[in-house]
Amino acid sequence: MTSPEDAVVAVWQLESPRIVSGLLRITRDLQLAEDLAQDALVAALEAWPRDGVPANPGAWLMTVAKRRAIDTFRRAERHRAEVNRLGHEMTEESVGELVDQVDHVEDDVLRLMFLTCHPALTAESRAALTLRLVGGLTVEEIARGFQVKDTAVGQRISRAKKTLAESGASLEMPIGAERASRLDDVMAVVYLVFNEGYAATSGDSWMRTDLCLEALRLARMLAALAPSDAEVHGLQALLELQASRFHARTSSSGEPVLLEDQDRARWDHLLIRRGLAALARAESSGQPVGVYTVQAAIAACHARARRAADTDWVRIASLYDLLSSVGDNPAVEVNRAVAHGRAFGPSAGLAVLDAVESSSYAWHAVRGDLLARAGRGSEAADSFRLAASLTRNEAERVLLLRRAATSESGGA
Amino acid sequence: MRYMVMLSMRSDVGPPPPDLVAAMDVAMGEAFASGLMIDAGGLMDDQQTTFTLRAGALARTDGPYAEAKEVVGGYAVLDVRSHEEAVEGARRMMQVHLDHWPGWEGSADVRRIAGPEEGPPTR
Repeated sequence: MTSPEDAVVAVWQLESPRIVSGLLRITRDLQLAEDLAQDALVAALEAWPRDGVPANPGAWLMTVAKRRAIDTFRRAERHRAEVNRLGHEMTEESVGELVDQVDHVEDDVLRLMFLTCHPALTAESRAALTLRLVGGLTVEEIARGFQVKDTAVGQRISRAKKTLAESGASLEMPIGAERASRLDDVMAVVYLVFNEGYAATSGDSWMRTDLCLEALRLARMLAALAPSDAEVHGLQALLELQASRFHARTSSSGEPVLLEDQDRARWDHLLIRRGLAALARAESSGQPVGVYTVQAAIAACHARARRAADTDWVRIASLYDLLSSVGDNPAVEVNRAVAHGRAFGPSAGLAVLDAVESSSYAWHAVRGDLLARAGRGSEAADSFRLAASLTRNEAERVLLLRRAATSESGGA
Repeated sequence: MRYMVMLSMRSDVGPPPPDLVAAMDVAMGEAFASGLMIDAGGLMDDQQTTFTLRAGALARTDGPYAEAKEVVGGYAVLDVRSHEEAVEGARRMMQVHLDHWPGWEGSADVRRIAGPEEGPPTR
């Protein structure tokens, strides 16, 4: 059974991005906006368990917060202009009109995302601040997701707000080239939050799944806020498709299961459908495709294959070629080698792999796999052993040594 | 966590007023935009069939049915952080009906969908 307080917090979390961003527009002060939003939450915690959730909780919270804003400005005896403007708005605006300003609200939330992902902040601070102010998460929830101490997250957030205030970060909507680059920053934060949960190899996986869900929600929100930018749909598609494999990624005993070995019936087909639809939106925009869209297209090739053997490796290889042409990322090259190996045979894969310099365990592991497929057993064994010496994951090390032994004795 | 909300109403409720349709569009648009709602649909009554298994006998009846009864008229799938968030999602849908469909009566059932590790397989 949930408590009345849980109910209030759930509603507040849903409304939080609109409340905080609306207050930011009025106060132009992030700390004050957050304080006022918290005041509104406290008021709701007092009133709602007694009177029930109001018909329009968002408008209720906003009205309370605005009233507090006026009080604050009056008490401070400054911001005279704001007091006048707000007083005017409060008498002019009925609750219904407040709610009808949908376009306005969407711009507010997008502006807030641009601010919480501001380039003046470190990557960790952007993630924490975004989850706090856009996701409406508590400091404790964020700390649990990132597996750090509550106090560390609290400090990170307050430092970030201070940095933003001191750097004079603009609250205006960026335009033109700046908008594009700032949107990239926002997408990078969402992607980072998702990967923090998705790539987790330690800790309580249940909590980490929550972090992925949170990133997915941010991606969906961003796609709705900036629908004319194709790449936001690509990002949403990528996250929906990756999340669709979440439950097939670990065996019942908790071991990681590689994509090709996953039970595809356990993939989440609702998320696959949503991912493919988002990818179609990105691809039909007529805009040049970005890296998230290309990665989503690769994920879609896997999602569309009913069996691993049905995978369209030729298309995946060409998509990796595209990714490879826009950036210099050794991990992409390793995956490109895998795709070329599957599509055109092991020697094609080796040609891709040998063109890049890398000493990562993945590079050696893939090289071992391609050599084994090419029938070059003893060379494969050397690569597997080298890879085993480089991995920090015990289960992986055992697996690689086993493959080294099989290759040596002539097996694949 | 994933939830399903099922909206039930009398089968003879008639077509929804345009006002309700418009308000539901807005409410559902917001729910999809926030990432809360991930699927939704209305269930039509022009093509329906019911199988009944009773006392070892399987019977089939084709609609539409003459007698008015309580039926599921629509559903929504929600991706939520807590039970209360799903409850609020359902409350909003009911509030829209209260505000925009005078005289409408019905109910919303909020049920958690079994996770992959519990309940029957989804294949």
